[in-house]
Amino acid sequence: MNIIKTPKPQTNSSKRELLFTFQTIIVTGLLAFTAIAFFFYNDLSVVKGIKVIFAPFLSVVPLLFILSVLRDLRNGFIEGNYTKQEVLKFGLITLAITGAFTIITLLLSKINALEILLAGIIAILSTVFFLRSKIKDILGMSIVTGIAEGIIVYMIFLF
Amino acid sequence: MIQKNLNIAFYIMVGVSIVVFIYLVFLGYDEIKTFKDIVKIVGSVVFPIPILFFTRFIVIEHFLPENTDAYKLKNQKPATVLLVVSAISVLLCMRFLEFITHKKLEDMLILAHLINSTTISSYVFNFLLYNNLKANGILSGVLMALAIHIFFLST
Repeated sequence: MNIIKTPKPQTNSSKRELLFTFQTIIVTGLLAFTAIAFFFYNDLSVVKGIKVIFAPFLSVVPLLFILSVLRDLRNGFIEGNYTKQEVLKFGLITLAITGAFTIITLLLSKINALEILLAGIIAILSTVFFLRSKIKDILGMSIVTGIAEGIIVYMIFLF
Repeated sequence: MIQKNLNIAFYIMVGVSIVVFIYLVFLGYDEIKTFKDIVKIVGSVVFPIPILFFTRFIVIEHFLPENTDAYKLKNQKPATVLLVVSAISVLLCMRFLEFITHKKLEDMLILAHLINSTTISSYVFNFLLYNNLKANGILSGVLMALAIHIFFLST
């Protein structure tokens, strides 16, 4: 059984990009799961139907605008290794963002109207997609990892 | 491209982990009443995955040691020692913690799930990418300690 099968030789930066994409997919899944969990668990009420339809646009429209205007902020993933100092720095950033997102998820759980919750989650999702498409760097990776871990930590320990 | 055959140890490790997982779910079956508990279990199972991706992202260099006889021979002894040492020390550590907190691991099923999923994901990760025999030994030891603790030592 061949688990590792790569038809073409990959460079390190393309591998990194692939990992980054996986991480964004995981975060998207987690966010969707959180939304569904909150929706069912808190028995959220749809106050006004039309608001729910329009809530996502609140953050999607600025995202599309930014994506169309901005050029790539970073040069992409580097080929070689990171230095010890960089690893330490981005590890700490990840930890900080994990903490921050545990609190943000806590705040999200306090919201008791579906449209606001939806707007909040779509806003986070837009941020993730912004990072995914424009900040292709270890910074983006550490932020996305932090978001994922923050949500999971909330799910395990506080929910 | 390096193509590796999964050996029998890999299957056994994954099997043990799955059995532990099922046993833990079974053990806490009475406690799974609400949607909340399912969310917690799912959370503790997916917990290690983003961290592993992040680690892989940083440690991208593919220093895959070839699984030759010389490599095996060289790492045989330290890996075995690490296996035994980590199994015993984790076992003692869990006993000690139970003694200190006056709680059983069975009451903290989330923690057990967390240990199980973290160990097995790191094991698969290590196996597929680095095949570091020493790390292999440590992770097998931790999983063994957890399995022994759950199946045999808890009454």
